[in-house]
Amino acid sequence: MTNILVVADIKQGELKGSTAELLSKARALGADTAVVAVGAQVKDLAPQLAAAGSDTQYIVEDASLEIFSARPFAAAVVKAANEFNADMVWFGFSETGKAAAPRVAVQLEAACATEIIDVTIDGDAVQIIRPAIANKVLQKVKVNAPKLVAVVRAGAFEADPDISGKENVVALDVPEADTGAKVQELISDASGEIDLTDADIVVSVGRGAKDQKGVDLVKALADDLAAGFGSSRAMVDAGLMAHNKQVGQTGKIVAPSLYIAVGISGAIQHLAGMNGSKVILAVNKDPEAPIFNVADFGIVGDLFDVVPLLKEEIKKIRA
Amino acid sequence: MKILTTVKKVVDVELNIHVENGAILDKGLQYVINAWDENAVEAAVQLKESHKADTTLVSLGSGDNTDIIRKCYAMGIDDAIQIDDPALANADSPTFARVLQKVYEAGDYDLVITGKQAQDTDAGQAGIMLAEFLNIPCVSNVIKIEVTDDSHIQVSRLGDAGTEILDVTLPAVITVSDGINEPRLPAMRGIMMAKKKKINVMDLAGLGTSFEDVGGTAPASEIVEFMPTEKRKGGQKFEGDPAEVTAKVVDLLVNEAKVL
Repeated sequence: MTNILVVADIKQGELKGSTAELLSKARALGADTAVVAVGAQVKDLAPQLAAAGSDTQYIVEDASLEIFSARPFAAAVVKAANEFNADMVWFGFSETGKAAAPRVAVQLEAACATEIIDVTIDGDAVQIIRPAIANKVLQKVKVNAPKLVAVVRAGAFEADPDISGKENVVALDVPEADTGAKVQELISDASGEIDLTDADIVVSVGRGAKDQKGVDLVKALADDLAAGFGSSRAMVDAGLMAHNKQVGQTGKIVAPSLYIAVGISGAIQHLAGMNGSKVILAVNKDPEAPIFNVADFGIVGDLFDVVPLLKEEIKKIRA
Repeated sequence: MKILTTVKKVVDVELNIHVENGAILDKGLQYVINAWDENAVEAAVQLKESHKADTTLVSLGSGDNTDIIRKCYAMGIDDAIQIDDPALANADSPTFARVLQKVYEAGDYDLVITGKQAQDTDAGQAGIMLAEFLNIPCVSNVIKIEVTDDSHIQVSRLGDAGTEILDVTLPAVITVSDGINEPRLPAMRGIMMAKKKKINVMDLAGLGTSFEDVGGTAPASEIVEFMPTEKRKGGQKFEGDPAEVTAKVVDLLVNEAKVL
């Protein structure tokens, strides 16, 4: 039997969808499941964590864990992994996971794999599949170490709504704060906006929007759809969009039901961040733009004409 | 302040990559400096300019990395070490981190700056593992570095909840995101001077270690096969009257794709 510990993906006190997705996959593999939740207020999430498919909930709660700090976060996960005798530790795709996973792997003497999209267990043989080179190839990787720490790519696994676990809460000791890299302050992104990585629809804006007026126009479309609002790198470099809005190889990886790329040409680095989307709609005035090679639906046209029309049509169907 | 930066030579992701029989075909591949490492080099050179930091570059791998090292010299790096050993051709992240540990320990560095990930593997592990092996502080995905005093820096990191500001005690490892800077284009004078500079080339034995010693012979994981990514196909593309095609596409999203 394999023991899989899933690290709860919690943002601004809210449990994110990836936790249930990872737990569903773990159960589908026939594993025993536990989850570890780390933060300032996570105890109350225990029923949700059980419902998401975990049979044990390790809770590491303390005011000192309000702002993410990689060292204590990793220490909490290692503690839970040891308590659970975990063969695998899975993180959802997040900056938290990317920062903590290599530390946890070193401490558990485990193999470390980031951005995985599949895991197979065949007796003692464990293999994972992950994209590389900006999603241009897939690697099949054999795990030699007895343990595996993995960060699962957004959208890789689906949550099974019929799965649920049982509540068995175990409180763990709070790790010491990191005195070497001391967290001073968090300049919060919380602005009441829809979380890009968790949104069912994402609208992203690219260079075609030209300036602030163009950005505002596309943002209004995102608002009408209650969608997450993302960006190509060009708009971040131009100072028109914040770093944390960048979708791509280096930024956020998203896999919504519908991704609407507006005025985005489709550089390979951008495609690497969104080509897991179920349906892609592209709006671009250049009929040769590479984005059309991956889009299920494409509108060749000026976004300043098309976006207001899209808003109108959507208003009609939502009425 | 003594800074160590790392650079890796990687496949140019802009070009087509072909996979056959489980391996990537060499044909048509071109190699470039890893983009995030270029940000790391720029960050180091900026600290050289603002705080008289000494900058050393290390490049790991198998094969000649002279071209990318010369580029970093032209950007303003002072010294360069190239660890060139055929054993490192397919080494994994922990192995690279162990080699970096040997390089770090052979010098007397205050700060290690690496790119947040390599664009060929997209693993993002080596820098963080290096800090873990050395048991020194590490902050990843950094977009700003400011020197507080000889033994402290303040960094900004892009996290899940926003921008985190951390006070870091040196020595430390920082991995940088592309948001930190815009790497400079070397000036002609720098390019000419870079041609004359010496590169300290050594293999693992020259570094006082071996492939076995850095864990390379017993990797925690290994790639058994490459496969082509299942390519998305372009679907229906509409041109013509904007009002007509927009109405048509919204209808398809609602009734065919059922995502609206």
